[in-house]
Amino acid sequence: MVERLTPRERFGLLVIDEPQDRVPVYPLITNHAAAVAGMSLREYCTRGRSMARAQLIAQERYGHDFISVFSEVGIIAEALGSVFEYPEDDLPVLRRPALDGGLRTLECGLRTADAGRLPVYYEAIEYAYDAVGDRVPIVAFVPAPFTTALHLVAGEEFLLATSLHAPPAEREQAHQLLDQVTLATIAFLLEVLNHSALPLLVDPLASGSVISPRAYREFALPYERRLIEFLHRYDLDVTLHICGDTTPMLPLLKETGADLVSLDRVDLDMARRALGDTLRLVGNYDTSRLLLDSPEQVEQEVHRMVESSSGSPKGYVAATGCEVPFRTPPENVRAFVRGAKTHHA
Amino acid sequence: MSYADPVPARVTFAEWGSLFQQIPDELIQQYHYFEGMANDECRMTNGESSAAGGHSFYPWSTYLFPPQTFAIYGSRHLRRLKFDNSLAALRMWGFVMSETERLFRARQVGRQVIATMGDLGGTPPMVLAAGNTVPFYPDCIWWLPFLNESTVLFDAAAALGIGESACYSRAALGAFAKQSYFPPPALCVAATGASCDDYGAVEQLVADMGYPMHWFELPLRKDCAGGSAASRFQEFGRTAYGVDYQLAARDLLVAQFGGLRRRLETTLGREIAAAALSSSIRQVNRVRRKVAHIRDLVHSAPAAVFPALEMMVVEFGSLHFYSDIDEWESILTHIEQTVEQRRENQGSVQSAEVTPLRGEGESPLRVVWVTPPADPLLLCFAEDLGLRVVGTEYVINQALGAIAEDGEPMAALADALLNASLTGSSRARARSIIEQAHRYDAEGVVISGILGGSHCALETNLIRDYVAAETDLPVLAFDVPAPATGVSSQVKTRLEAFAELLRARR
Repeated sequence: MVERLTPRERFGLLVIDEPQDRVPVYPLITNHAAAVAGMSLREYCTRGRSMARAQLIAQERYGHDFISVFSEVGIIAEALGSVFEYPEDDLPVLRRPALDGGLRTLECGLRTADAGRLPVYYEAIEYAYDAVGDRVPIVAFVPAPFTTALHLVAGEEFLLATSLHAPPAEREQAHQLLDQVTLATIAFLLEVLNHSALPLLVDPLASGSVISPRAYREFALPYERRLIEFLHRYDLDVTLHICGDTTPMLPLLKETGADLVSLDRVDLDMARRALGDTLRLVGNYDTSRLLLDSPEQVEQEVHRMVESSSGSPKGYVAATGCEVPFRTPPENVRAFVRGAKTHHA
Repeated sequence: MSYADPVPARVTFAEWGSLFQQIPDELIQQYHYFEGMANDECRMTNGESSAAGGHSFYPWSTYLFPPQTFAIYGSRHLRRLKFDNSLAALRMWGFVMSETERLFRARQVGRQVIATMGDLGGTPPMVLAAGNTVPFYPDCIWWLPFLNESTVLFDAAAALGIGESACYSRAALGAFAKQSYFPPPALCVAATGASCDDYGAVEQLVADMGYPMHWFELPLRKDCAGGSAASRFQEFGRTAYGVDYQLAARDLLVAQFGGLRRRLETTLGREIAAAALSSSIRQVNRVRRKVAHIRDLVHSAPAAVFPALEMMVVEFGSLHFYSDIDEWESILTHIEQTVEQRRENQGSVQSAEVTPLRGEGESPLRVVWVTPPADPLLLCFAEDLGLRVVGTEYVINQALGAIAEDGEPMAALADALLNASLTGSSRARARSIIEQAHRYDAEGVVISGILGGSHCALETNLIRDYVAAETDLPVLAFDVPAPATGVSSQVKTRLEAFAELLRARR
């Protein structure tokens, strides 16, 4: 069926508070694209052209409304000196964090943000943009500072430094690290903008499943807000994605300044009541069900989800709650897209 | 808040990206469209208005953003263009590139959006007089396929029956079908008669889609010079700009404006008072006089003080002011000041550039450019080659001259529209080209035809012959090919050869 609007036209209407022909559909297809394209994860994660090609193939097969440029959340940490390994058929694995001597080694400094696989992203963005950028928005996932910090220091040490009982000096060190990471992330964002992708901030490890609302307020939110303020200088519509259960943090999400919020394990009705008057909601089909249910079940459930969420005052994007699992059956992703598309706004 | 313009230059997309980082936040917050409306005239449907410095504005109405912003939202060609590096030019680009959003916001805040089509500048003063209205030209969407490097709108037009045999203005039909480039207009004022044939076909199909139409007939303006047949049987008058016209044409136009006034009053449910019309004419004139002044400053300057691409955007702003006449007037003032300052400081946007064909210290080659290039990259490329545009005939004369303010407003609007390039003869267009070539000491004429444009196919050769007969200026004529990622090799070599020819004649 030929649709009236291209994905780009549809998204353009969403962000200026205008009705669209149907809700935009965004299964968060990241490394699943490699499975669709039949390429190894190592190739997908380390070669920009391959990443873009896989995404383009997936978009053509499924017909969703966005192209995602993303491998995993370690990319900025890698550019700052953390060492990753690239298994043939798995995502990059953190082998040695940049600050493996602990937070106190921060005073020796971090590398600048122009190394590692960041150029892979630039190449992927450019390739996808040249191919379909007039019709489909190109979205680059950018890890927020809290998540990156956890890839720079041994995870436990950083998390302990953010706890209520941590000594003030350690908390201060955590802030110093986050501050440096924020600057590096802004440098990365600038490149993403120059290559013409719309950044989507991901802070999966700032989830309510990992840290408390207090820790989120002190160690994640201020740095997310700085990135969002930077992007608002460019009048961009910023999406913030946080994995897991963020129910206790819902009221805080408004304070980030995000324009769209991508939610995972949260009741969407509750989110609409809490945020829907000021934020556009993105979400939040359960990805384990996407992996395991039958296509018929997926289509019905997605249709139901869109039915109940599409009335959100600032608009709604039918999405998965998190990344589409690598081995999700393609017919289930098709069912997701079909289920969302058959509901007309 | 301090920001000073750098030394004048044409900069790349990436260079504007770097410059933008130096612009303070306060400056971004300083410029708004629909300024002053948030609290008094209209009520918002989305978000809250806020106030700063005694002004009220909508939170979404800032527009001082770099080309990066608009490229991210799909304007791919911006990555290849060169831009003037002044704050005024950045402001202009941000304003122009945000027009789609502005049109939707206009409707959201209760303004009535009126599509004016095919007459290129004649009817917006009347629409503005109705108050709380936003006139706009869907015709100008013809640039979008080039800016986006995209066939999306052409494909949509083709699906409705207008394909490659028609000119690029067919993109507007695609936009009407899509309903995502502007809100459904409360009324479409469609010029017919002595207007673009291809666009007439677009208008017919827009009418078939069910949009509310008002047909506005443009009479063909005849020449009375040289004892023509027309001059023997009809009485003629002359506009303030020295353009001859048959009196019957003027009477017809006055009647057409009367009909439009009545239709607008019916559609909008309010009267258009003579005083409102006079006031609207005065405001439109302020814009037109500023544009005329900027044109003269730029074209007569000893050095190139403002690039040709930005000048084209300035000229076309006289059609419908990019949907906010107040802010557009303010932007023009900013540009005028920038250009005046550059003239005073002997700045130039082309001085530092040395091209393979142009030696150091050589002044640019002065040309008059005829018919607006659908692909904006052509103007950048021409400047890269060392050409400098010192005159233009973009078929919008009717939008450039001031409207008489001392007579009956309806007659004044008719008189102004009688200056139209598009309703007169090719000889009249050629006269304007020759006059500018003399005034600004041009060394050649470039005619960029519109592929598929029926009037171009006929007119280009006539204009070339007239110019050749009355001057010794070389003329280059070519058709602008369909949207692409760069200048086609054929156009490149022809422009290069033309530059070489002009240089050899020095």
